[in-house]
Amino acid sequence: MTGCAPVAETARRLCDRALSWLHAHRELDTLPSTSDLGDPDSVYKPLGETTLAASLVVRDGTAGPGRRAAARSLLDFTWAQMRGGDLLYERLLQHTLLTDPAETYAHFVRAGYRHPRLDELLAHQVRLRSVRAVELIPDRKLAVANAHRIIGLDDDADWDALIRATWLGGLPEPWAIDWMTAYQMTHTVFHSTDWGALPYRLPADLTAYLHDWLPVWIDIWREIRQWDLVAELLVVGACLEEPYCDPDDWRALAEIQHEDGFVPRDGDPIDENPVQRFKDHQHTVVVTAVAGTIAAARASAGRS
Amino acid sequence: MKVPAAGPSRTAFVTAADDLADRVLSALRGAENAPFLARHVEQAPDRGAALAAVRLVGADVFVPHLLAGFPLDGQDAAAVTRSLAVFPQEAVIAGAGDAGSAVAWRDWAVAELLTRFDGGRPAVPPGEEPAEDPAATGWRPWCARMAGLSPLAIAGLDGPVHQAARCGALPLSRGAARSMLRRDYLTAVRLIRWLAWLHHDGVPLPLDLEAALDHAVLLGGHGPRTALDIAVAERLLGRPDDAHRRR
Repeated sequence: MTGCAPVAETARRLCDRALSWLHAHRELDTLPSTSDLGDPDSVYKPLGETTLAASLVVRDGTAGPGRRAAARSLLDFTWAQMRGGDLLYERLLQHTLLTDPAETYAHFVRAGYRHPRLDELLAHQVRLRSVRAVELIPDRKLAVANAHRIIGLDDDADWDALIRATWLGGLPEPWAIDWMTAYQMTHTVFHSTDWGALPYRLPADLTAYLHDWLPVWIDIWREIRQWDLVAELLVVGACLEEPYCDPDDWRALAEIQHEDGFVPRDGDPIDENPVQRFKDHQHTVVVTAVAGTIAAARASAGRS
Repeated sequence: MKVPAAGPSRTAFVTAADDLADRVLSALRGAENAPFLARHVEQAPDRGAALAAVRLVGADVFVPHLLAGFPLDGQDAAAVTRSLAVFPQEAVIAGAGDAGSAVAWRDWAVAELLTRFDGGRPAVPPGEEPAEDPAATGWRPWCARMAGLSPLAIAGLDGPVHQAARCGALPLSRGAARSMLRRDYLTAVRLIRWLAWLHHDGVPLPLDLEAALDHAVLLGGHGPRTALDIAVAERLLGRPDDAHRRR
């Protein structure tokens, strides 16, 4: 049960459909005209997530023309929503210590978008002792370090120390994990490996640990239909140096995906209102697209 | 007589098994003398239920003999033999649903220990495969099966099931972690007992077993039969009885 090859077809189909749903529903995720984001989580965060999924499709380059075109179109849309990067630039101008402008910008940079004034501002920001000392939980520090690396900013990150400071880095008792900690663990892997591009950066003992316990975690969260977390755990498996992709898990995710690409976040009833439906489940569709594109890319890298 | 899978008599048998497990624990801790098994059956309000309890507790009735040097009295051996006659294997299997092969292996352990203490010939293991390769059956069903065979996980007993366990340290650990996360501490403790057996046997484990055992005991180690699993696991780990309560 190693490698992504046995799930490559399923992964591609999952990603194609998810991306097509994100594209069809993109207009439900538009920013207000003001640049002062009172609640950044409301629309700004989902836009960044959609950008991430699309940027990985472009980066991994294994998608067919349809998926690539959808990804490009989504990136153009979200970049326009960010007013060509101005919004991120202005947000950082106003809030020097915020890290989300760099984190969001990194997804665009991955796909070839640049904003020179933001580059200049970030190069200054990253040199500030105040910025480096901002108190973030360990997996968020990894997110910032990875964003800086993608943008090309030198922040002297000590990757090994950053990874060891996380929950996963402590090689914790696998039976003492909870829902929120599971999400933090998945993000430790996402940022350490840059979403599967640098799998070897996760230390070998942590990779072995994940091979031991991912099957248990996927099992228990599958049982209670926490599909959003299950999809994140599938991404973790696909990001490992020797990927862990159990076809049965991938089949289960494919079975709950609707024809149009929609994926419910859990087993609860789905709101019929399109806006609420988007708000509740967009993240899961994004994670499904991410899982699919990374697994497909790893499978095709394994063949070459 | 059948051991029913459900219903009022099943409840009576399970209660009787709890009473017997309590008695076995007392014997393990030195608070009983021989023939405690025979006396337990003799004095029980429902002797049929007490004999069924001997079948349900299985090889664990010999825990005091294996771990505390308790002498096997002829009357105790006779009580166990009688339970096998009153509740023959076929009848127990008929009441156990799909756990038939587990019954056969549990009975093998009882017969093996009985003849060992009685000076008889070793029991013949059941013909079928004890516990298939967990990689072939999947670690979850395999662990469910091994949990049902936890009375076999005791120092001094070895056989094909134990050999399968030696090859299954990771699947058993996964099963224990899964049970803990599902708050199924009854199953968790049974699998931890197998892991403790492996530890005692020198097999390296991917799990901090002492922490897992303490956690399972503190959060869900209730009931006399679970207490018996815990007592055996602690002794296999070389810890004093009820080590968790002394910390």
